[in-house]
Amino acid sequence: MRTNGTGTQGSVDRRGLLKLVGGSTAALGLTAAGCGGGSGSDGGTVTIRYAWWGSDDRAKRINQTIELFEKKHPKIKVKTDFQPYLDFWKKFNTQASGGNPPDVFQNAVGFLRKYDAKNVLLDLGGQVEAGNLRMDGFRAGLDTFGEVDGRLLGVPVGSNSMALVIDEKVFGKAGITPRPGWTWEEFHAALAKIRDTQGRAGDSGMYGVMYLYDLHLRQHGKAFFTPKGLGFTEADLTDWWTKALQGVRAGTYSDPKKVSQVKPKAALSAGLSACEFTWDNFTIRYTSEGKSEYGLAPVPTTDGKRTGQYLGSLMLSASKRTKHPEEVARFIDFMVHDPEVATIMGYDRGVPATTAQYEAFKPTDPVNKKIAAYEQQLVDSGVLEQITPHPAGADIAEAAFLRIAEEMALGKSSVAEAVRQFFSESKTALGS
Amino acid sequence: MTPVQTPTAAALPTGDAAGPGPGRGGAAEERSGPGARRRARRENLAGYLFMSPWIAGFALLTAGPMIASLYFAFTDYNLFDAPRWIGLKNFTDMFADPRWRHSVDVTLWYVVVGTPLKLAAALAVALLLNQKRRGQGFYRAAFYAPSLIGASVSIAVVWRAIFSDDAIVDRAQRSLLGMDVGGWIGDPDWIVYSLIALTMWQFGAPMVIFLAGLKQVPRELYEAAEVDGAGPWRRFWNITLPMISPVLFFNVLLETIHSFQIFGSAYILGGQAGGTCGPADATLVYTCYLYVQGFENSRMGFASAMAWMLLLAVGLVTAVLFWSQKRWVHYEEAAR
Repeated sequence: MRTNGTGTQGSVDRRGLLKLVGGSTAALGLTAAGCGGGSGSDGGTVTIRYAWWGSDDRAKRINQTIELFEKKHPKIKVKTDFQPYLDFWKKFNTQASGGNPPDVFQNAVGFLRKYDAKNVLLDLGGQVEAGNLRMDGFRAGLDTFGEVDGRLLGVPVGSNSMALVIDEKVFGKAGITPRPGWTWEEFHAALAKIRDTQGRAGDSGMYGVMYLYDLHLRQHGKAFFTPKGLGFTEADLTDWWTKALQGVRAGTYSDPKKVSQVKPKAALSAGLSACEFTWDNFTIRYTSEGKSEYGLAPVPTTDGKRTGQYLGSLMLSASKRTKHPEEVARFIDFMVHDPEVATIMGYDRGVPATTAQYEAFKPTDPVNKKIAAYEQQLVDSGVLEQITPHPAGADIAEAAFLRIAEEMALGKSSVAEAVRQFFSESKTALGS
Repeated sequence: MTPVQTPTAAALPTGDAAGPGPGRGGAAEERSGPGARRRARRENLAGYLFMSPWIAGFALLTAGPMIASLYFAFTDYNLFDAPRWIGLKNFTDMFADPRWRHSVDVTLWYVVVGTPLKLAAALAVALLLNQKRRGQGFYRAAFYAPSLIGASVSIAVVWRAIFSDDAIVDRAQRSLLGMDVGGWIGDPDWIVYSLIALTMWQFGAPMVIFLAGLKQVPRELYEAAEVDGAGPWRRFWNITLPMISPVLFFNVLLETIHSFQIFGSAYILGGQAGGTCGPADATLVYTCYLYVQGFENSRMGFASAMAWMLLLAVGLVTAVLFWSQKRWVHYEEAAR
């Protein structure tokens, strides 16, 4: 700084500076205040916040549906936000705990009771009565899928089912044609045949997939979850994982070391296995990820009939703290019923949940056709059952199941240790 | 970094008052009495105002949350419901939790193996760069570069690709050593070494400090030793090492503390998949587990307790290091 001998110049400068500092602090305060007003109404126009998880492709489709919605509802503006699955829930959890969740968001069954218990979810029943949200015209009993104790906490957008996704080329070359009602013995014989003739593991390693173990348990009259906790015993799991370890050692399941390295690619699309138990709409992802052709096969059974399958679905939920429940209800109504939305979204979030949307989008590409045919066949053959409610903390138990199964398969813990660890962690997570 | 900033910021107003030139500080105050005192007060005020962003930041972003987390450490807190006081239960749960003990093992292994290797690499390169040779400026910059980018997410992603099955490291290992581990990233016993390698590669910061230390060693000592017939190894062991031991101590201290706090590279190298860190939790370092408990399992009380436990452990290690320096750190003043 230049000093001019009198000393006054300097202090004026400093005073000027102080003003500047004060001014910018005020400006900062204003900006902060501006950021705080995320959702609100302005001159009759209402802004709602909508958040979901998914890929860029899904984001593109959703943004198109929002444009369509805003055109038809000029008084409602929609602000969007999306992340990949895991990041979405971390962000949502933080926002919800801070009392600032999005007005409407994508939800899944594993989180329904969790956030209901935390008082985050709005009962949309009132909006149904007010006529802002129609709950008729849903397929295969999906209208009650998002209900907890008679309250409507989520509205299904598209159904999907656990399935056996297969590498059709490898199955063809091995000469295996899975038929409905095939048994686990036949399934394991097929895996061994693929290992022996095709030089790769039969299955990616199904022992850590919670939703598949759920089907297996259902075939025995149990289920993974009860509304309060776990629906199986330590002896059940010991049996399941002991057989799994034998499969890993025998090479009928993929080498878990290799599976963990190809992440985020799936073992099936990376060519490490010939089939994988997962949601039927994942066939779309595997087709874009992998080099082969992928299709859907029936889930093996214990008694030759019962697969234990049910339709699952992503949902749209509203937050209890929203200032605009009516607009949110109209938004959800539009997203699940409008036929044009269906033509934009395709089967990205599963087969559309309402008949109106189901009729509006008829797939032309082979993969989407396979998915539609698979779900139609599930409905026609009458194997579909009802999903058991997932208790609060189910998401954490599911993650622990996958992780501990992997540790066991990698030989880092014995089956007995793994089972003990899983039951101990689940007890903490489910509070039972 | 905070302790380094503190004295600088605190020194601001006094430095200003003691500064030269008319209209400033003590000299002016003696000359013209109360008016100048008022001015001095105003200058102090200005000083504090200039500090205020830092003070506010420290109070709101560091001190406040720290006090809050100390309280949460003794509660059951899931972010939604009010924290419930449970005394020492988080701490007893911690010691009973096999996953917590595993994360401690992983972290200790990483600190004990990784830190000396990184410092050895830094010292070795510093010794090379301390020689008079053409283009040393370029080499210094080149060797420092990895530590500028090494901590970034993208490098951890690249590292993951390099050490995967059938990638460059795996192939080299197979053809040169005839050993096939099928990629380090997927192997619970190997992945930690790729993490250590990533850390070693970022030796730039301690290297620069070593280099500064090496420049301070008087030439005469080496000349005298050479006259007495001491070889290069002996000169390194008996002159260089004792002379740079204060710098070595500083680096050991800093790198040890840093290593305990490693998070980003372990989290990404391990691959993010629903609450895990690496195959069979092989890169589940302490802070990764803290993050999993806090943000994925919503157990903020437990995570806070873990954070304070880490602070205690790092404090203890630091104290031990300070106590040990009497035995091996050589200060010139003390020798005189």
